[in-house]
Amino acid sequence: MSDLERELEQELHRVLDPITALPIPARRQPEARRAARALLGGAGAALTVKVLTGVAVAAAAVTVAGAATTGSLNPADWGQQVTQQVADCKAQLADGQHGIGACVSSFASQHGSAAASAARQHGNGNGNGNAHAKDKNKAHPATPKSGSVPRGLDSEPGDQAATHRTVTITSHP
Amino acid sequence: MESIELPAERERYEPGSEADFERLYRNTYRRILGTLITLVRDRATAEDCTQETYERAYRNWRSWRPDAPVEAWLHRIAINVAISDRRHQQLRSAGEMIRRLGRPAAGPDPSLIAENSDLVQALKKLPTKQAAALVLRHYHGYTNREIAAALNVPEQTVASRLGAARKQLQAVLGR
Repeated sequence: MSDLERELEQELHRVLDPITALPIPARRQPEARRAARALLGGAGAALTVKVLTGVAVAAAAVTVAGAATTGSLNPADWGQQVTQQVADCKAQLADGQHGIGACVSSFASQHGSAAASAARQHGNGNGNGNAHAKDKNKAHPATPKSGSVPRGLDSEPGDQAATHRTVTITSHP
Repeated sequence: MESIELPAERERYEPGSEADFERLYRNTYRRILGTLITLVRDRATAEDCTQETYERAYRNWRSWRPDAPVEAWLHRIAINVAISDRRHQQLRSAGEMIRRLGRPAAGPDPSLIAENSDLVQALKKLPTKQAAALVLRHYHGYTNREIAAALNVPEQTVASRLGAARKQLQAVLGR
């Protein structure tokens, strides 16, 4: 063993032995640190913030759309209001009169435009998604299948009242 | 291949066992800390790197094979942690200097002896794996084969690395 090696050993023991004789601390728990790192630092934090922000914005948009249509903050009320509107429209029909499309669609168009607005805010530029399709399905069963009703009337909710009056006249000469 | 028995190898450990990992921690903490103190800038960093070493080891504890020397395995992880720390050291040094301004002088602390030691300072100037090889050999008493297992390199590489490390250490110390 050379002088350097001997000196190296002695010096290492002189400086390191007192430190390594100190009490051993408790082992750091990896789970807590990893979770904190994922939430508070790095790309994980950025992603977490983005996801949470997206969820919050989507929830707010849906809530505002529903509340604007029905006047209620409870989503369960929105479905009940549509059901109630259908029942009311049926009750308003005179004997022998068919079709509640215009009546329901005036309500549904409000809901549809509100839902489309919410979808556009959420990134769906079409805004003509399932909510509108659902309204169509609800409105159509009461529509006569005689073929006298021009197809595509529901696509322009603003014209419903005038168009429906014309249809009623032609289907009952 | 001839079996290697490092101090921690005298005990048996079962991979994945929580109790055995805790025992391993108790049995090897001081040796891992001793190595890391010579590789990173100060004791606080060495302690942090030691904990990081055991965190990494714990994540892979289930896949550790009992036929591999467990302390060499831990040292391999520790050296990698030290290398990562050295890479980030320059980025941190500016902020650390600002934090130390106005701090009262520290009292008697064994770690200051190490931090003020010319030899330890010289070791910190060597490439991490060279310094690690010197510490494993001259402080922990590892053979070249054990160092090879710890550094995951052939024994020949260890021999040449030790030779280069000694030469560079002499140059740094001015001898």
